[in-house]
Amino acid sequence: MLSGLLVDLVPFTREWYQEKMHAYWNNESRLWATMGECMPISRASIARIIEERAQGRARGYSGVHFMIRTKDGVTIGNIGLNWVDYHSRCGYLGAWIGEEGYWGGGYGTDALLLVVEYAFDWLDLRRLALGTMALNVRAQRNVEKCGFRLEGRERQATLVNGEWLDALTYGMLRGEWPGRETLIERLGLREKAAQRYAIQEE
Amino acid sequence: MLEGTLVDLVPFEDDFAIYLETWMNEEAWFRAHVWERREPHTEDDVKKYIENMEKNERGGLIGFQAKNGDPIGALIFDHEWTRVRKAEVRVVVGDSRYEGADEALDGLLMLVRYCFETRNLHRLDAVALPFHETWIEHLRRAGFVHEGTLRQHIRWDGDYVDLEMFGLLQSEWPGYVQKVAELSLQPSDIEPKPKPEKKEQKEAQPS
Ligand SMILES: CC(C)(COP(=O)(O)OP(=O)(O)OC[C@H]1O[C@@H](n2cnc3c(N)ncnc32)[C@H](O)[C@@H]1OP(=O)(O)O)[C@@H](O)C(=O)NCCC(=O)NCCS
Repeated sequence: MLSGLLVDLVPFTREWYQEKMHAYWNNESRLWATMGECMPISRASIARIIEERAQGRARGYSGVHFMIRTKDGVTIGNIGLNWVDYHSRCGYLGAWIGEEGYWGGGYGTDALLLVVEYAFDWLDLRRLALGTMALNVRAQRNVEKCGFRLEGRERQATLVNGEWLDALTYGMLRGEWPGRETLIERLGLREKAAQRYAIQEE
Repeated sequence: MLEGTLVDLVPFEDDFAIYLETWMNEEAWFRAHVWERREPHTEDDVKKYIENMEKNERGGLIGFQAKNGDPIGALIFDHEWTRVRKAEVRVVVGDSRYEGADEALDGLLMLVRYCFETRNLHRLDAVALPFHETWIEHLRRAGFVHEGTLRQHIRWDGDYVDLEMFGLLQSEWPGYVQKVAELSLQPSDIEPKPKPEKKEQKEAQPS
C-alpha cells in the first residue's frame, strides 16, 4: 500500500472487479478515460476484459495497477503504470477516477505523486509518459501541476462526439522530478487534506 | 501487384520471405521498429512474424520491389484503430543500397496511397529516431508533419535518445498521382542483386 494525504493506493479487491469496473465503464467517466469511447458494456464483456488481463499477466504483462481509496475508505478509481518498458526504463501512466463527485478535489494529484515516486524510487524508471485528449483540461492541469511537460500533439488522433480532437503526450524525466515532499508543499496538499477530513470529522 | 512509379507492391512471400531472415536481424529493421533490444530473430521467429502479419486484421506486411523486380524491403501498417481510422506506418529498406533512394520514398508513398485511398484511413502515425535522417526526409517529402519529440524515450547504443513523432491526415494528402507529379521521383539504377539461394526442401518423409 502507498499512503498519501488524501488517498491510499491499495490492491484491487473483489468489489472492484464486480461492482466498480462495471460502473465506471458505463458512466460518464469512460469517455474521458478512453479518449472518447462510450458504448455501454455488459458484465460479460467486463468479465472477458478481466480474463484477458489475467492472461496478459501470465505472458509477462508489465503493468502495475492500484485502486485509489480515500482516507475514509471510499474506493473512487484506479491509477498505475499501464505498461513499463524496463529496457528503456520508461513507464506509461494511466488514471481513472470513476466517481464524478470526486473530480477536481486533489485526489488525482495526491495519487499521481505517489505513483511517480513509486516509479522513480522503487522501480528505478528514468522517464514517465502519459497521453490524454485535448478536451481533457482537468487531466492536463493535473499532470502539468505535477511537473509533466507537453511533448507531442497528434492532430485529429481521436474522435469524440463527432468531432476530431488532438491527442497530447506528456513526459517527465527523473531529473525534473522535484520529489513528492516538495510538490506536496508547493501544491498545498496538506492543507487540502486537513480541510477535507476535518470537515468530515465535525 | 500494385504498380507505383519506381516500385511495385507484391505479396510478402517467396524471395521476400528468404530475405527477411537476414533483414530482420539488420539495422534497417531495428531502426524502423525502434527495436531497442534487438534480440536475434531465428528462422522460426521470422516465419511466425510473417504468419502473424498474414492473420493480422489491424495491419499488413507488403513487399516492395524495383521495376526490374529487385526486392527492396517491407511496407508495414499496424495497430489500425477502427473507431478513429488511424494506423502506424513503417518502411523497412531491407536492401541498404536503397536507403535514402527515391525507390524507398515511392514505397512510403504507395503505402500512404493504400492506407488513404483504399483503406480509407483518416490519419497515419510514424515515428523516427532523430539520427535516421533519410527516413525523416522521406516523411517530410511525403507530407508528414512533425508533431512532437518524446525526450530520451529509447535506450539506444549506450544512450537514451529522443523519438520524433510525425502524423499525416487524409485531408492533407493530395492523392498519389498528384503527389508523385510534385516530387519528380528519380530512379537510382541500382543493379538487381542475384536471386537468393532457395533453401533446401525438407526431405520427404519415408513412407
Ligand atoms: C484526470 C483525473 C485523474 C484527475 O484527478 P482529479 O482529482 O480530478 O484532479 P485534481 O483535482 O488533483 O487536479 C485537477 C486540476 O484541474 C482543475 N480542473 C478541474 N476541472 C477543470 C476544468 N474543467 N477545466 C480546467 N481545470 C479544471 C482543478 O481545479 C485542479 O487544479 P487546481 O488544483 O489548480 O485547482 C480525474 O479527474 C479523472 O480520473 N477523470 C476521469 C477519467 C480521466 O480523465 N482520466 C485521465 C485520462 S488521461
